[in-house]
Amino acid sequence: MMLKLRVDNQEIEAREGKTLLQACLDNQIYVPNLCYLEDMESPSASCRMCFVEIEGTPQPVPSCTVQVKNDMVVKTDTPAVRQLQRTALRLLLSVHDVDCKNCHANKKCELQNIAKFLKVGLKPKRLERYLKETLIDETHPFLIHYPNRCVLCGKCVHICRGKHGESVLTFARRGFDTIISTYSATDESSLTCGDCDTCVKACPVGALAVKESS
Amino acid sequence: MSPDNRKNIDIKFNAIRKEAEKHRNEFRDAPVPKIHIGMATCGIASGALETQKAFKEALVENDIEARIHTVGCFGHCYAEPVVIIDHPDSGFPPIFYHEVTPGKAKMLVKLFLGGGDPRFEHVYGATEENDMIPSVTDFSRFNQEKRIVMEKCGRIDPEDIYDYIAADGYSTLVKALKLDPEEVIKEVTHSGLRGRGGAGFPTGRKWNLAKSVTDQEKIVICNADEGDPGAYMDRTILESNPHQVLEGIAICAYAVGAHKAMVYVRSEYPLAVKLVTDAIQQAEKLGLLGKGILDSTFDLKIDVFQGSGAFVCGEETALIRSIEGYRGMPQHRPPYPVQKGLWNKPTVINNVKTLASVPPILDHGATWYRSIGTQNSPGTAIFSIVGNVVHAGLVEIPMGVSLRTLIFDICGGIQNNKKFKAVQIGGPSGGCLNEDFLDTPIDFDSLTEAGAMMGSGGMVVMDEDTCMVEVARYFLDFTQKESCGKCTFCRIGTYHLLKILERLTKGEGLEGDLELLETLSQDIKAGSLCGLGKTAPNPVLTSLKYFRDEYEAHIKEKRCPALMCRPLTAFYFDLELCARGCDACATCCPVDAVFTTSNRKKGVDQELCVKCGECLVACPPEYDAVRKVSPPDLVPYIEKPPEKEKKDVK
Amino acid sequence: MNEELTEEEKEALKHIALKLETFEKHRGNLIPILQMVQNNLAYLPSEALKIVAQHLGIIESEVYGVATFYNQFRFHPPGKYPVKVCLGTACHVKAGDIILENFERKLEISDGETTPDREFSIERVACVGCCALAPVAIIDETVHGHMAPSKVEGLILRIKLQEEIEEREKKKNEPGQS
Repeated sequence: MMLKLRVDNQEIEAREGKTLLQACLDNQIYVPNLCYLEDMESPSASCRMCFVEIEGTPQPVPSCTVQVKNDMVVKTDTPAVRQLQRTALRLLLSVHDVDCKNCHANKKCELQNIAKFLKVGLKPKRLERYLKETLIDETHPFLIHYPNRCVLCGKCVHICRGKHGESVLTFARRGFDTIISTYSATDESSLTCGDCDTCVKACPVGALAVKESS
Repeated sequence: MSPDNRKNIDIKFNAIRKEAEKHRNEFRDAPVPKIHIGMATCGIASGALETQKAFKEALVENDIEARIHTVGCFGHCYAEPVVIIDHPDSGFPPIFYHEVTPGKAKMLVKLFLGGGDPRFEHVYGATEENDMIPSVTDFSRFNQEKRIVMEKCGRIDPEDIYDYIAADGYSTLVKALKLDPEEVIKEVTHSGLRGRGGAGFPTGRKWNLAKSVTDQEKIVICNADEGDPGAYMDRTILESNPHQVLEGIAICAYAVGAHKAMVYVRSEYPLAVKLVTDAIQQAEKLGLLGKGILDSTFDLKIDVFQGSGAFVCGEETALIRSIEGYRGMPQHRPPYPVQKGLWNKPTVINNVKTLASVPPILDHGATWYRSIGTQNSPGTAIFSIVGNVVHAGLVEIPMGVSLRTLIFDICGGIQNNKKFKAVQIGGPSGGCLNEDFLDTPIDFDSLTEAGAMMGSGGMVVMDEDTCMVEVARYFLDFTQKESCGKCTFCRIGTYHLLKILERLTKGEGLEGDLELLETLSQDIKAGSLCGLGKTAPNPVLTSLKYFRDEYEAHIKEKRCPALMCRPLTAFYFDLELCARGCDACATCCPVDAVFTTSNRKKGVDQELCVKCGECLVACPPEYDAVRKVSPPDLVPYIEKPPEKEKKDVK
Repeated sequence: MNEELTEEEKEALKHIALKLETFEKHRGNLIPILQMVQNNLAYLPSEALKIVAQHLGIIESEVYGVATFYNQFRFHPPGKYPVKVCLGTACHVKAGDIILENFERKLEISDGETTPDREFSIERVACVGCCALAPVAIIDETVHGHMAPSKVEGLILRIKLQEEIEEREKKKNEPGQS
């Protein structure tokens, strides 16, 4: 069933069961997002970017966690929404190795896009920058991982699991130290990668790359 | 249950109860003295095992017969090891002794049990009113408490199910089984019981939600993943009276229609894990748990799951993930666990204290429970009160009692005659309140309004020597380490908060740091995924609000007004007062930072000093020469003689 | 995580493999299994993660991801005498961090590390629940309440002396020695 809702004073239609974020994106209303994938059973809701305000709800909510409802009235551009989005972005940039010139994702990087959209400089002034010690993780036979570019959206883990049943990429450790790990993936013969590079393609920021040798 | 079934339940239970009473009477009526020793973790940590051993040895040595009864925790942690000696032949009522060391134990056996002299100088009080010794009920630590959940804690042996049954245990389960599940839920709803895990969600409503999901297997989880540093009520209850919790679980399971339950205990609580596991086995053996409980048609299997040490697993969706064998990361709600929980089945998750409140509620009725506490927060609150307070320990009080009464009357006020400064309520998610809030009644809504929260019941009392910036740093350090790392705000935001606070406590604060702390905190609160992140900034926000001048002193003057932040303080010896030739400070200094001046007084090598304060303690009171100052540049210059000269003297 | 296993540990690993069979191959058993392994080995070497993954039929990295999430699991062998310093709120208010620092200084290792001779290791722990005794340190299984910086050295010395005495006793009792 198609439902009708109002987003930013524009009437849009969306199929029942769709997330609000998807409905917006389908209708060319951009809402910044990093961790959202349409086929996820339940949204990860971890990047905290896709906030919107819904009439009747006191505070901004991540639009990936809301299903569309008839007559919903939504605003994607309010001061409260922008405040949260900008802070989330600045936080991500404060642990990001901003070296776009030398990054293969330059100009197609989602962080760059969002920064431009939100009018936030890539080098935040007020927050100090904290980078991880490991600059490049090359333990995986086919993949290179750049921990200081990674935004921990988890898309690579999800996509690999979807495609191969299980994922050699995994979240490891906890809290601020959380990383995407390729633990134990040192033995080529045990890997199901083949010529698959979906994880690399899924990465919104260029934290994964295929090794040149492979 | 059919009428026949109900009758069977009674017959079966009466037989068990008779057996239990036989056990109790045999113990109670034995014509020998009884020694009750508190043996929960805190008691054991204070040496209760050695005390028990000393009692046993002394009984043998003096050829005296007596029974030793190991019980759980009385809640009087400041007085551990705690012992009650019941010696009817002496003519005295049962007497409460505190801090019973092995030496004291041996002496009491010889002189009290052997000679009838209770040694008045060591008596804390009699446990009942009498004409000879003041009774403990004269102390406000005892008479202002209202024990519902902890009523039996410290009175029964947690390892003996009969002890619990003889004290009316499991009789409420019997009562519940004879009611319709709806009636049980109705009673709990009427009682107004709110979840004791912190959020205060109405328990009856939660049960009703689970009940309303039909034709599905359901699960009940008892949340004992108490991770709040400085709170240990749940552990104490599990260690002192595990059966009351199990009884609560069974009633809950019966009410919502679950046949599977779990107790989720931290693996850091090995004694609680053991006692609960044993208790389940004992109850199963008697037919009080397991298949066909008391010959009824109700089955319940309870398992124990050991949490692996992640504070965030106290959050219910994270807890579920960890039982399922995954990283304990919270999930977006809805769906709520009562709709879709463990293994996608409807799951009721209740805190230990919530479940342990259920048997007394059903026993005495909802109206009785409502008569205790306040309108919106009926019942009692259990706090573990620690920090700079005289009578630290566990306290169960009716909701609505003021913080002042709790801290100053019941817990004896601040140690060492210091001034009260702040109280931190609700652990790392709670807030620091200053003395303006001492008359705040303790209940869910008033505390939240004040900017703190009930939380799970940790309460830390702080005196004037505690730096609020440092306390905020401490709590942020905790939440930052315990953040699961899933969402941006909590993962990176709390890290920045911590780094800024660390900067302040080192005297490296910058202009604008306080504003940054504030806006960042607000955004983390609004933007985080789960309760941990949403509440993590509370200690910062409340301390900034109530102790802003202290923050400013750290930034503008590089000074710690409470003299606590070590990089901002320094020690020196007042040479006017320092006694020539005295070495008390020098011998206790762990880093050899104390040197002797040319006229044989003492000085501190500031380069070496780690500011542990040992010299301050060691300096004889008649000299009182050690001075602690902030900022460190207030230290007068005291010349250190060159090393060579020292050798020459020798 | 790359330390060589000792002979004893290799034996324990065999024992663990047998014990694993008593656990159903069910993902929900992952944490109980890891706890069992650590109870036997005192830490989780990579060899152990491997057999756990095989038993449950899940990929090793998944086991690693879960194990590294929880505080309980260690990936390096602890010392013979693990020193745990409580940094719960009550201990913190009473300067538990100074106690931790003193252990670190005396043993010349940091929190989370083991001395090269594998005798001592230092760990900071959240509340151990003896708040009334704050500040608290636990060595081996013994709780030491009301700690003070100046007590640290004595505690370590006492353990070392105790060891020496035991060593001498052992030698004395060995046959062929006078």
